[in-house]
Parts: sequence; structure tokens; C-alpha cells
Amino acid sequence: MSRIARLPIIATRRGVIGLAAAAALGVEARAADASQITIAAHVSLAPTWFDPAETAGIITPFLLLYALHDAVAKAMPGETLAPCLAESWSTAPDGLSYDFVVRPGVKFHNGEPVTAEDIKFSFERYRGAAHDVMQERVAAVEVVDPLHVRFRLKAQWPDFMTFYAASSGAGWIVPKKYVEQVGDEAFKKAPIGAGPYKFVSFKPGVELVLEAFDDYWRKKPAVKRLVFRVIPDESTRLAALERGEVDVAMSIRGELAEEVTHKPGLVLRPTVGSAPYWLYFPEQWDPKSPWHDQRVREAVNLAIDRKTMNEALTLGYSHLTGSVFPENFDFYWQPPAPVYDPGRAKKLLAEAGFAGGFDAGDYHCDSAYANLGEVALNNLQEIGVTVRLRPLERAAFFKAYAEKKLKGIIQGASGAFGNCATRAENFMVKGGTYVYGDYPDIDALFARQATEMDQAKRTELLWKLQQLVRDKTMYVPLWQLAFISAVGPRVEQSGFGLIKGYVYPAPYEELTLKTRT
Amino acid sequence: MKQYIVRRIGYSFLSLFLLSLTIFVFVRLTGDPATLLVEPGASEADLQAIRVQFGLDQPLYVQYWHFIASFAVGDLGQSFYYRTPVLDLYLQRLPNSLLLAATAMSFSLLIGIPTGILAAVRVGKFWDTTGKIFALLGLSLPAFWVGLVLILFFSVYLGWLPSSGSGTFWHLLMPAFSLGWFFAAAHMRLTRSSMLEVLGSEYVKLARLKGLPEALVIGKHAFKNALIPVITLAGINLVVMINVAIVVETVFAWPGIGRLLYEGITFRDFPIVQGVVVIGGAMIVMVNLVVDIFYALIDPRIRLES
Repeated sequence: MSRIARLPIIATRRGVIGLAAAAALGVEARAADASQITIAAHVSLAPTWFDPAETAGIITPFLLLYALHDAVAKAMPGETLAPCLAESWSTAPDGLSYDFVVRPGVKFHNGEPVTAEDIKFSFERYRGAAHDVMQERVAAVEVVDPLHVRFRLKAQWPDFMTFYAASSGAGWIVPKKYVEQVGDEAFKKAPIGAGPYKFVSFKPGVELVLEAFDDYWRKKPAVKRLVFRVIPDESTRLAALERGEVDVAMSIRGELAEEVTHKPGLVLRPTVGSAPYWLYFPEQWDPKSPWHDQRVREAVNLAIDRKTMNEALTLGYSHLTGSVFPENFDFYWQPPAPVYDPGRAKKLLAEAGFAGGFDAGDYHCDSAYANLGEVALNNLQEIGVTVRLRPLERAAFFKAYAEKKLKGIIQGASGAFGNCATRAENFMVKGGTYVYGDYPDIDALFARQATEMDQAKRTELLWKLQQLVRDKTMYVPLWQLAFISAVGPRVEQSGFGLIKGYVYPAPYEELTLKTRT
Repeated sequence: MKQYIVRRIGYSFLSLFLLSLTIFVFVRLTGDPATLLVEPGASEADLQAIRVQFGLDQPLYVQYWHFIASFAVGDLGQSFYYRTPVLDLYLQRLPNSLLLAATAMSFSLLIGIPTGILAAVRVGKFWDTTGKIFALLGLSLPAFWVGLVLILFFSVYLGWLPSSGSGTFWHLLMPAFSLGWFFAAAHMRLTRSSMLEVLGSEYVKLARLKGLPEALVIGKHAFKNALIPVITLAGINLVVMINVAIVVETVFAWPGIGRLLYEGITFRDFPIVQGVVVIGGAMIVMVNLVVDIFYALIDPRIRLES
């Protein structure tokens, strides 16, 4: 009615006609009942996301994994790695094996208990993104007893838990008996897990219906049914939310997000993921390039007006950061906040011999984030650095980036899972996929931490490495991008932002609806 | 006649071969799908593992041979994104697309043909002008815009219709209108021009000279002949509606083949794009083949000329 009230000229007549027609047509404005939350998903849900074994190196499958399945350990509110199906784990003194104690009394949706056999089976059938690295480094998985499983490594691997239990999907557990009985394909059609919600039905490209699993070990979910409806268009998602057809609309950006702030009953729920954005200077190792002079790179760092950029593009919800490492990663070192000081930037440029500025060539970026580049371009222009924006379609951009074909400035980003060591390996250390040059001191620190089993010492080494990256202005960090969703009036706890660095609602057992008064 | 049909079938296979080759090459020009199946910044090893998994590390001619050989036995390959056979995905979406296309086509013919006739028999008058405006708007207004306006008006403001999705008759109305309007405009224009041509022909003049009632001249003598190109176009448009109603299906979250194609393009899911395009192409080739044979059967000049 609020919408109708805003159109006074024809409000009454149309309201009456509308109500009559709606009644006649049997159209329910509010599809959701009192014990159901309907989530409008921005992407098509893939059946492979029902099976942890197929987890690709992207975050999207976890949208469903957190509902249907559970892991040995996983990110939870306040904890990067919380014990879940394993109530505890320990590392052997020589660092060559990990022992997990299975939480007793935990059941799959079919009533079967979760056992050490299921953990071994799930690991062995895993074929996701970290499959090769796991197979290379894990020698064997042994079932010691029904509630005790041991992973034997070929050599010390300090990042084992990061790869196994974090976002690779390898540590998410499926029921061995059931999978063997029905096979992989049938499992994807009727998955059974140990998560807070049970599979009810799935219409590809349309919707997924889940029902609360009352015997979930952590707590009984408060919301009886979860429905994921796929609505690819952003405006349509918002319309469905306004109409009360859905309770949550994922990924609402820019002007539409701004619009939500003016709509009574709707609220924005921004979350910040593990994807920092940055500027990189591939020619910084070339003595003939202006970028070789650290003062020039530092001038760019000081010239970027991140605050304005953030307010203009993500309503101020992205996290401004002085690091290219995600804030929620293990071994993260907190750098000082980034500073905007164009005056000092110009001074640094003058000291470096570029008082009148210079032509810095091309500014390469993923075309989906060219808007970020446009703001940076203006900021650089203000200190006399001229660049030309060269947006490339995402695949082409990352291909060219990885093949070391780009020059000038690269606006990069990474949402790949891991920890600060794995991030450094890809982006800072000699031989890394996106590394155009390297610094021997950073390489040496990386090599030392790779074999260091003492967490405190390893942390110290990785902190030092991050300090060096910053001190050398190897990168100019921009922000950690916010993922903005909108939530309707019936929802009390949407689950957004409960887990640091995770952009979707989770854990689902925490979701609640407002009680009717 | 036999030779004519054999030649037409040969052309059809050649068209399909060229289409398959074109789409195979073009989807690969769009870039590496592996980069879209991992988070930005994934390692080269991760990317290579995905390429190997989907056979993208093979030489192009090997990939093409696999595609063609599998297609010949009804296997369209497996979707990179859904990890499901493309044929299964296509068949799951087909009923929705058929329903939407049939409704939109009915709408477009019911509106387009009478308006076209009216415009032709009242050239330069009110109905002609109205018809032209209707056609102009239908052809020029972007379908996504029409869709969004309909959603805002009928769903958000009035609350009469569901904003998106499928499952009931009411879900069908807005997408069918959005899709049908464009084609109604095309059918209206073709009907109008075809009718004008027929109305100016000698046999219609003769019919009028004989003093036949105008309704009979238009309805029996002119309309029947003017309808042939419209029906031919409608047949091809129906195939287009089934396979490439991308914008409308995306805006209304309608789970049809158009959206499957959109997803395929978005995720650079080569098997989906290749499968949908080749099936769509095969349908069009088939329609054309049937029409060609039909023409040859009813018009001896065609088969004699060829």
C-alpha cells in the first residue's frame, strides 16, 4: 500500500482495482510463510555445489555448502577455523601427521552417524581446486578408530589445515555409505550431508528448497525452510524484495543499493569478502622506467582518494586497506591506514624528477571494475600522471596479467582462498603466477616461512614479509570490496557478516525471523 | 523432385557444419573459461588443472572432432559450470521455453496480423498510423526496459502479478507480452506490406470489378495469399523465441533456454553455447528445409527451375 499511497492521483481507484484483481487472480504478494526465508540468488545454482568433492576455487559453492553440509573445521563467527565435525585436532611433534577426533553423536540427514570412515572417504573422493596439491603432499589417511582419523603427510606442510579445512572444500564431509550406494551423479540429485538444512527439491535455474535438520549438532535451525530463488537481474531481485516475494536479495549494487536506503522496511547488509584490490607496477624492476623509483610509486599511493572512491562506488561499505593481503587471512599483519595526500604526492614526484608529471602509459583492469579505474585515473591526473584506461574482459585481463604481457599500471585483485603465505606465493615471490619481478629479501623470507612449523616464528616471518611489501611500495592497495545485499522486513538475523571475510549469509542455523506481534 | 530434395538436404548439412564450425571458433575467441571457474588471482596450476579436466588443453582440431563426433550421436557434451550433460539441461528448460514461445507467438499473431490487415486496408488513415506507432515501439523499445517497466507497474505498484519466476499462468503474462510485442510488431509490418502487395495485384482488382463484397475480397482472396510469408516468418521466429529469448528470460528469471544460453555465455561455458546454438540452428535449418520442400510440392516452377 505504501507504493500506492505515493501516487495520490489514481491511488484509491487503482488500489481497489489492484486488490480486487490480486484477489481474483489468486496472486500472493507474500510468497513466504512464517517459517520460511526466501533468498533471491544472483547466480544460477549449480548441482555441483551440492557435492563438496567438486568445489572449484571459488567462494560461490559455499553459499550452499554451509546449508547442506558440514566440515571437519570451518570458518565460523569469531573463528577462522572452528572445530565442527572434528571436535579437536592435533599435529604430531614432527609435523608429519594430523590427528582429528570426530565429534561423537553427530548425524547425517539420513540418521547415519558421522564417522572417521566418512572423513577418509570424503578426502579420497575430493577432486576440487586443491586436489593436486593435497594428493602431492598427503601420503595417506588412516582410520584409527570410528572416531579418530589420521592424515599422514609426505613432508612438513605448515599450510595443511589452510588447504584441508578452509575454503578448498576438501574437509567437507559426505556420507560414505550413501554415496557408494547411489553413486556420484545421484548424490548431486539428492544430496545428504551433515549440515543444518536438508535437501528437499531443486529445479535447475529456478529454485532450491531446503528444510531444517532438527538434529543438527550445533543447534536446531530456527527457520523451518530455506528457499533459494534464482533471479539473475538485479532490478528484478529488488522488485521481488519490495513486493515481499523474497526476504533477501543478494548483490544489489550502485544506484539500486542507494535506492534501498530510502525504502522503508528494507535494509542493506554489506559484507566485505577476502578480495583486496590493488595497483601494481610491472615495470618497477626496470631501471629505465619511472616506476623503478619508489618515490613515484609512493606518490601514486598518496594520490588515490580511497574514501571518495568508496563512497561513490560502494556507498562507503568497502574496507579501505593498506594491505594487499585480506584482513581475515591467517598471518595478516595490520598496516597503517592508507593516507590521501596529493600535495605530498606531487612533492615526491618532483623529488623523483617528475615535477611536471609524466605519461605513465596504460592502466589495465578487469572491465567489470573499470569504474574503480576511472576514479583512480582522475586521482592520478590531479598529480600530473597521465594514464589511459584499458579495460579488458575478465578472462582476457587475467590471462594477460598472468602471461606478464601488461605494462604501465595493473589494477588487480584476488579472491583466491588460502592464507598470507599462499597469497605471497602467487603475487610477490619469484616464480609466482602474477609476479613480474621480485625482491631477494622477500623471496628469502618466503622460503624460510615455508618450512617453519613454529606458528609464532612463522607469523613473525610473514609479518616481516608484508612489511617489506609495503615499505617497498611494491603494490598500492585500494580496498577490500564490499558485497551488498538487501534484506526485507520479516528477517531478524540474515546471517550476513557473521563470519569475517565471508560475503554470503552463514551460518544458516543462526538465521531468524522477527516474531509477529 | 528427388534430386531437388537431396540437394536441399545437402545444403542443410553444409549449413549445420558451417554453423558448428563458426560457433566452435567464436566461443573460443572469447577467452579462457578456466579463469571464470576460479577466483581472480588463482595460480597457473589451478587454471591448468581446469583446462585438463575439460579437455581445453587439447589441440583445437581434436576438440572440434570430439564436439562433432559427440553431437552426431546426440551428446552435446558436459557443461563446465553445471557439470551436467548439456542435453539434459536443454531438455529441462525446453518445456518452459516452449510455453513462453507459444504464448508470446499467439499474442504476436493475434495482435500483429489483424493490425497489419487493418493498416493495409486503411492506408494513411488512423488505423494505419496507430499500427505503425505500435510497430515502431515494439521494434525499438528494448525488451529489458519493457520488462522492467512492466515489473514496476504491475508487480511493485499494482501488486497484480508476480515479479519473476515461473510456475503459474500469472508468471507467464509479463514475459510473454514483452517477448510477443517485438514479434507482433514484426508480424504486423510484414502482414501490412504483404497485404498491400496482394491488394494491388490483378486478381484482386478483378475480384473487385466482379463486384465481390470487400470483406470477401480481403478475407478470402487477399488475406490467404498474403499470409504465406507471415507464416514462414512466424515459424522461424518461433524457433528464435524458443532458443534466444535471452533478455526477457533473464529479466523475468524465466527458466528457459534463452537464460541457459545467457548463463553459458556469462560463464564461458563452451558446451552450453555450442549446444544451444547448434540445436537452434538445426531447428531453423529444419524449418527452412520443410518450407522449401513444401514450396516445391505446391509450386512446380520451383522444382523445375532448380
